[in-house]
Amino acid sequence: MSGGAGCGNGDEVKHLEAWPRVEREQLAVCHFCDALHEAPAVEEGTAVVCSNCGSALYRNQPASLDRAVAFGMAALLLMVVAQGFPFISLSANGMVSGMTLTGASLSLAREGSHLLAAGVAFCTMIAPSALAAGLVYVCLPLRWGKAWPGARGVALWLYRLEPWAMVEVFFLGAVVSLLKLVKLADVSIGVAFWALGAVMFCLAAAIAGIDRRELWDRLEVALQK
Amino acid sequence: MKGLVAKPPWPGSAAAAGLASCHVCDRVAPVAERHCPRCGAHLHTRKKESIQRTMALLVASMIAYVPANMMPIMVVEQLGGGTEANTIIGGVITFWEMHAYPVAITIFVASVIIPILKMIALLWLCAAAGGWVRIDGRRLTRIYWLTEVVGRWSMVDVFVVAVMVTLIQLGNLMVIHPGPAALAFAGVVVLTMLAAMSFEPRLLWDRAKAGRKQLRKAREGEE
Ligand SMILES: [Zn+2]
Ligand SMILES: [Zn+2]
Repeated sequence: MSGGAGCGNGDEVKHLEAWPRVEREQLAVCHFCDALHEAPAVEEGTAVVCSNCGSALYRNQPASLDRAVAFGMAALLLMVVAQGFPFISLSANGMVSGMTLTGASLSLAREGSHLLAAGVAFCTMIAPSALAAGLVYVCLPLRWGKAWPGARGVALWLYRLEPWAMVEVFFLGAVVSLLKLVKLADVSIGVAFWALGAVMFCLAAAIAGIDRRELWDRLEVALQK
Repeated sequence: MKGLVAKPPWPGSAAAAGLASCHVCDRVAPVAERHCPRCGAHLHTRKKESIQRTMALLVASMIAYVPANMMPIMVVEQLGGGTEANTIIGGVITFWEMHAYPVAITIFVASVIIPILKMIALLWLCAAAGGWVRIDGRRLTRIYWLTEVVGRWSMVDVFVVAVMVTLIQLGNLMVIHPGPAALAFAGVVVLTMLAAMSFEPRLLWDRAKAGRKQLRKAREGEE
């Protein structure tokens, strides 16, 4: 199987080959139409598509591990920034009220809507942070062909968590609220607003940066050592 | 990105060969093993009782959709004045009248159009997978993909409530409380997301294949 040497000294070697895989008959099944295919190892920048329905089976993203780790770490750092700084503040008739990201969930809890507060906290803070942290935890040691303890479980939960991380939806909600409030009061946008916008971008780039088939193939090789 | 069309090792679906691909890690393994040998997730050729589960969740989301629209999503308390309860539609109309068109349109699309379209789409997909409607597998697969991607954006109104409740605590001016519809609406979004996740798109292709087989048989019979 080709590509085994590429990940060890990744700094010098250009990643133009396929990712390392465990040796066995490699098959891929289309998630949409269930057609069975052979799964060839492909070089970077190539997507393998279904012969029946044309949807992508898997793709070899260029510099996938580096991208997942870098964007994942950036998302985590920016998430911390987004927590610590004001998100939006508002002034009307001399009264000023500000809001942080945590504050949005807390105020819902204070109003007695605990379930809603928990849901908002989960979708806007817990799930996105866990997603970014998990991705870094799995992908960082994979750069050296290693796996940290519990990596298999972490990777398993990563993909279950993914649909519930809704930073981008919350961001749209904040923009809509801003448009609503502009008519009522003076609104100023804080650092956390831009930080969250950047989290949104980094998280999407981190997840899209590595195909899950590649992540699991690499993890499997690392776990066998 | 370059595209490479994969070769089938032999014609036919994975299910016919007794194989399934893991929904988590993409490893292809015999279904008889029941759990993925690589990541440990449950293996199945077709999600179990997919149509029933999807329909149950869909019906639940439709039920929750009634209070989500009838009850107030936000209660604005003007201190010194009265209180004003806003429903989702009421909010859209208010903003339209205030000439805040982008806000009105965003909320209308996210809170009314997307959930309704998603429910209709899932209903249609279930009907097609159950064989009650004629289908074109490729087009329906695309609709399924759309429901998965677009559905989450409905949550936007719930987040708007969260932001408004937090920000508008202007002591002597006004206070905003979350209404019961906020939770009901969050329920609608979560339930439709779960419904889409429990739907099995490959049932559509099974139907399409069975349909083609029947057609071929009928033609052979005529000749
Ligand atoms: Zn396909
Ligand atoms: Zn698996």
